[in-house]
Amino acid sequence: MSSEIDEYNGGSVLAMLGKNCVAIASDKRFGMKLMTLGTEFPKIFQATDKIYIAMAGLATDIQTLSELIRYKINMYKLREEREIEPTTLAYMVASTLYERRFSPYYVSPLIAGLDKNNKPYICNMDLIGCVTTTNDFVVGGAADDCLLGTCEALYEPDLEPEDLFETISQSLISAVDRNAASGWGAVVHVLTPERVITRTLKTRQD
Amino acid sequence: MSFYPYTDNGGSALAIAGEDYCLLASDTRQSGEDYKIHAGYVPKAFKLTDSCVYAGVGFSADGVALVKRVRQSIEWYRHAHEKTMSTPALAQMIATVLYSKRFFPYYVGTILGGLDENGRGVVYSFDPVGSFEAELHKAVGSGAELIQPFLDNQVNLKFLPEVERTPLPLDVALQIAKDAFTSAAERDTKTGDYLEIFIIDREGVNVERFDLKRD
Amino acid sequence: MDHFPNYWGMPPQESFDRYNIFQDKTKNNAISDPTTNTKQPIVTGTSVIAFKYKDASFGSLARYREVERLYPVGEYTVLASSGDFSDFQYVKHTLDKIMTKEYYTNDGHILGTPHIYEYLSQVMYHRRSKLNPLWNAFVVGGYHNGEGYLGYVNLLGTTFQASTITTGIGMYMASPLLRKAVEGHEDTLTEAEAVDLVEQVMRVLYYRDSQSINRYQRAKITAQGVEISPLLSAPTDWSIGKDLRGYQ
Repeated sequence: MSSEIDEYNGGSVLAMLGKNCVAIASDKRFGMKLMTLGTEFPKIFQATDKIYIAMAGLATDIQTLSELIRYKINMYKLREEREIEPTTLAYMVASTLYERRFSPYYVSPLIAGLDKNNKPYICNMDLIGCVTTTNDFVVGGAADDCLLGTCEALYEPDLEPEDLFETISQSLISAVDRNAASGWGAVVHVLTPERVITRTLKTRQD
Repeated sequence: MSFYPYTDNGGSALAIAGEDYCLLASDTRQSGEDYKIHAGYVPKAFKLTDSCVYAGVGFSADGVALVKRVRQSIEWYRHAHEKTMSTPALAQMIATVLYSKRFFPYYVGTILGGLDENGRGVVYSFDPVGSFEAELHKAVGSGAELIQPFLDNQVNLKFLPEVERTPLPLDVALQIAKDAFTSAAERDTKTGDYLEIFIIDREGVNVERFDLKRD
Repeated sequence: MDHFPNYWGMPPQESFDRYNIFQDKTKNNAISDPTTNTKQPIVTGTSVIAFKYKDASFGSLARYREVERLYPVGEYTVLASSGDFSDFQYVKHTLDKIMTKEYYTNDGHILGTPHIYEYLSQVMYHRRSKLNPLWNAFVVGGYHNGEGYLGYVNLLGTTFQASTITTGIGMYMASPLLRKAVEGHEDTLTEAEAVDLVEQVMRVLYYRDSQSINRYQRAKITAQGVEISPLLSAPTDWSIGKDLRGYQ
């Protein structure tokens, strides 16, 4: 039952770690089962200047949770008088998800960011908040198996921002083209200590 | 407690068709239910003729039964027509055999890799009840979802507009196949142990075995 | 006298006898149950382990209620069974019949281990395809053409050959031990080491499999033929028990 719910609206997300940079990408499809309703529904949200969070899964939960997290980040900033760090944000999201342990939010969040020393960080979690931190790539969404395959084959460590962009784009596009519930374009953000580069990609428009 | 006549013995296979060769690679692990590993070397890919190799991934007993039937048909054909079955003819025949069990299917994902009558590489892929298509590359099995997008990217050279479309040389295809399987063995629990690669070209069929992760 | 008030005044039911002991399936009666023949195993045996060593094969099994589950077929083959015991008896009879037929043809050939294995695999696959399986996992071990042969076939018709084979819970517990000791060393493992390995594995199985008892049999097949050992026990150490509450 749960596997049908989290593929109901479709969508896939991916994040990769490079040399002093991270990249995060998602497709732009929004649908109801096999019918596509929207093609401008990227699933990435800016948490802070240096952290982005992407969520794949049930669209209503993505929207609700992104607003809830925005509120929690703002409150954190007011109380702590500083920006939140990626690891802290990860565990904050995780405990928010676990609060709904027995009636969960049907999302697979990924977090990609740079901490205060510009050290890159990525992690993903399941729908009830089990955090997995890796140092290569994390995937989520309807095309997660396909993404695992392409990332495993194409990824190499310590890529510069432009090379990381190429790798993450190729991985995402190849994978979502093999998945009916994901596609209709993609958005990629590459976060470096100096700036964030955002690009939109064209995939198969079906 | 009723009897369910199928199980998934896992594993993956892929095939890539080139201009004058065809490459078919499969892992050799046989898995049982609940993460058991039955054995590390149980081949899933078999040479059928000098220009054709078959791989059947899924329920191992059905895969073996299917290849037995197909081999018998090839023998009968040879006696009746005094020639070896060509790869397209074999593909049609396998589709018929699979459809004959439409209401109690052979639970295997089948691929056939070989040379057609003009010596060009061709890959045929079948679903468990016999629907088939000729393609340039195909992956089947538990690691198919991991391998197929990678093949799309590297064999079809999709989304790389600057690259010139030259035909894929054999050594590049071989490296793609090995990389695809090392990745699949990492992320798919049912793929691993050994990799067998069959290369079919004008001279016949050659097979090589490589190690994969054994965990 | 009709003892059952439910049947008073009702038309006679010809497909049932009054005491419902058996169903007469020859009568085509719309209310009878469909013929069922898939079943669950009733009397079962637990794990079997087998492996090849230098010049031979070894099989052994944890037994259940003093019943023998190793059966020699011909001079150089042993059949070991886990799963339903009545199906094992049926298979024993079937194999005896074909071996007898082979002897009668008297043409200088008898069925060797790979041939018996192939025959048994086909029988098992055919029965599963009729949805009426022989509910077993068999290990066929023997000596053929100068080397050991080991094959596994189960109720679904799944087959494989390897240098170490286990069934049942042995697949989880015994396989790692066997694979570590045997794989790569099939040609150098001596008989003494093999006997030791069997005892070690049987001990582990007895400790950890709740359906086993400490009685096993060992079959050794070499160029000289089949030797099935008498009942053996693995020495065990239960002294940890005194630290546990409730242990007697």
